[in-house]
Amino acid sequence: MPADRPPPEGPSAPEDRSMLVDSARRTTEVEPILTVHPEPGVAKPNPILTMDGLQRSFGGLTAVDVDHLEIERGIVTALIGPNGAGKTTLFNLITGFDRADSGRWEFNGQMVTSPSPDRLARRGMVRTFQLTKSLAKLSVLQNMLLGAPNQVGERLWAAPFRHLWRNQERANTERADELLEQFNLSHMRDELAGTLSGGQRKLLEMARALMSDPALVMLDEPMAGVNPALAQSLLGHITELALSGVSVVYIEHDMDVVSGISDWVVVLAQGQVIAEGGPWKVIHDEVVIDAYLGRRRAGTAS
Amino acid sequence: MDFDIIFGNAARAALGPEAIILALAAIGLNIHFGYTGLLNFGQVGFIMLGAYGTSVTVATFGWSLWAGIPIGLFLALALAVTLGIPTLRLHAVMFAIATIAAAEIIRILIGSTDAIGLTGGPLSVSFDAGAFFDLNPYADGPQDRYGVGTFAFTGQQMWVITVGWVLVALVSLFVFLIVRSPWGRVLKSIREDQDAARSLGKNVFWYKMQALMIGGVIGGMAGVIDAIKTSGADPNGFRPQVTFYTYTALLLGGAATYLGPVLGAILFWFLREWIESFLRQLSAEAWLPNAVADFLEGSEGIISVAMVGLALVLLMLFRPQGITGNRTEMQLDAR
Ligand SMILES: Nc1ncnc2c1ncn2[C@@H]1O[C@H](COP(=O)(O)OP(=O)(O)OP(=O)(O)O)[C@@H](O)[C@H]1O
Ligand SMILES: [Mg+2]
Repeated sequence: MPADRPPPEGPSAPEDRSMLVDSARRTTEVEPILTVHPEPGVAKPNPILTMDGLQRSFGGLTAVDVDHLEIERGIVTALIGPNGAGKTTLFNLITGFDRADSGRWEFNGQMVTSPSPDRLARRGMVRTFQLTKSLAKLSVLQNMLLGAPNQVGERLWAAPFRHLWRNQERANTERADELLEQFNLSHMRDELAGTLSGGQRKLLEMARALMSDPALVMLDEPMAGVNPALAQSLLGHITELALSGVSVVYIEHDMDVVSGISDWVVVLAQGQVIAEGGPWKVIHDEVVIDAYLGRRRAGTAS
Repeated sequence: MDFDIIFGNAARAALGPEAIILALAAIGLNIHFGYTGLLNFGQVGFIMLGAYGTSVTVATFGWSLWAGIPIGLFLALALAVTLGIPTLRLHAVMFAIATIAAAEIIRILIGSTDAIGLTGGPLSVSFDAGAFFDLNPYADGPQDRYGVGTFAFTGQQMWVITVGWVLVALVSLFVFLIVRSPWGRVLKSIREDQDAARSLGKNVFWYKMQALMIGGVIGGMAGVIDAIKTSGADPNGFRPQVTFYTYTALLLGGAATYLGPVLGAILFWFLREWIESFLRQLSAEAWLPNAVADFLEGSEGIISVAMVGLALVLLMLFRPQGITGNRTEMQLDAR
């Protein structure tokens, strides 16, 4: 943990990346979040995702118990917390892969009433998995094409008639090739995804998620197992995504990464949000450090 | 020992109606199991409804064969829907159990004495398939034979075979067209990892249902051909092993390949008939010890099925992708 690193000048970390991005746009994008008071459950100016009373327990263990949490639109939010904190479970609940015992959440201004993963994905919420789900017996390109939304050729009545979907397929293929290029996977384009290395699969899964032009991308440990040089360029992609208006939430354990690209950080411990705020503030928060070291403190659970 | 006879018999079985029926059943199963990963162990149920739907419509209700065929196919479709709605959301193993149970339940109901008035019950049902054979362009007098030696068909058989193989070709083409499309890509993604498919916005249940319906109706076509070929249906012809023969053919030829189910069905019947003919000739050989001859006598059919099973085991060991499959794809399973 970079506890010894000095906090940067000025209000927050985004300056660190000024070389990556157009700073004028950057300021307009991020400014509002800087005015938000860093405390658990605080309201945000323009949230894309709002959760209330979200609870999930497995037997006696309460894996997720989130009172209120808002995810701001168009920025990069990091979700951190020790192992077993409930980060993945929270992702599963929000994306409909697991059912909450109680609680409600709102996505893109609409209440999520019957959380079905595919419907949420079609509404613009895509996720990746901590344990990568590449489709082994499909080629890398086919994996990518699956990510494309609203495909005419995916309807049975249109499937036998190639001329109905050929043009869309071609456009999707172009988009897929661009993304594969960005994610350093072009050379593997026609290989079966099952032949990729672990890190390459992470990259493929993320690139595939982006095929759908999502409104919210939720990445579960996207950097895990990706080599540092490539991770660096992945970070660049994540920042660019936020700049193009996509909201990003990602789970990450590496604090250098977290402080490097996050506009906002949410800390989960034992299922609860124990802190949130700008990256430098949060990472040096006593409560957070204690949680990571496994120390319990009276009154942290709020 | 006359190898011309053995080979002739084998070739006749490999191209005859039985192979056509098996090929259609396997093409349907290939959509379920090969492309979508659905463990359908009740393919015989779809075949049975195709056969009985056709037979009962004509025999019991006295309607035309041309009404019976679509009714048979519709019943297969209806089975897919009623079976799929409650079970497709379940775990793969639960689905497998439900399919085998459903097929057996249908067979027992059809074959029960209470159903005699409708389906003929245990007595089997027979009807006049004249409407089909009226169209037969082949001369089918008692002396007419097409082929050489034991590899020969009657005129009626020729007509069934011609229609059957054309149907197999058309259905294969249709399956090729839908499977190479983005729709087929979704099926394969469900086979690989249905949660991944969901996370990409695919309605997994609906795609599985479509696959179950299409593969089921193709299974129903196998039943229709069977009904026409035998001018009827018999509940004993639809025991669970039919499904397992279908799996054997599919795996022999190569699951998730376009030609695998067809080649597999041809090979299955060729091997089965070759071995059976061979054993029958063998048991007649004078030099054979009596004990062995007695053992073989009358058991040729069972032994040949066992041998085909053995061939399947060997194939799984040495060429698990089937004869047309892709080796590298199979090796991915080990990763
Ligand atoms: N399906 C399940 N059944 C039982 N317990 C579960 C299940 N899923 C998660 N848990 C428990 O819930 C808690 C939170 O797990 P979760 O996977 O959300 O942690 P995490 O924050 O993602 O951890 P990590 O950083 O290690 O990935 C853990 O204690 C885990 O054992
Ligand atoms: Mg996790």
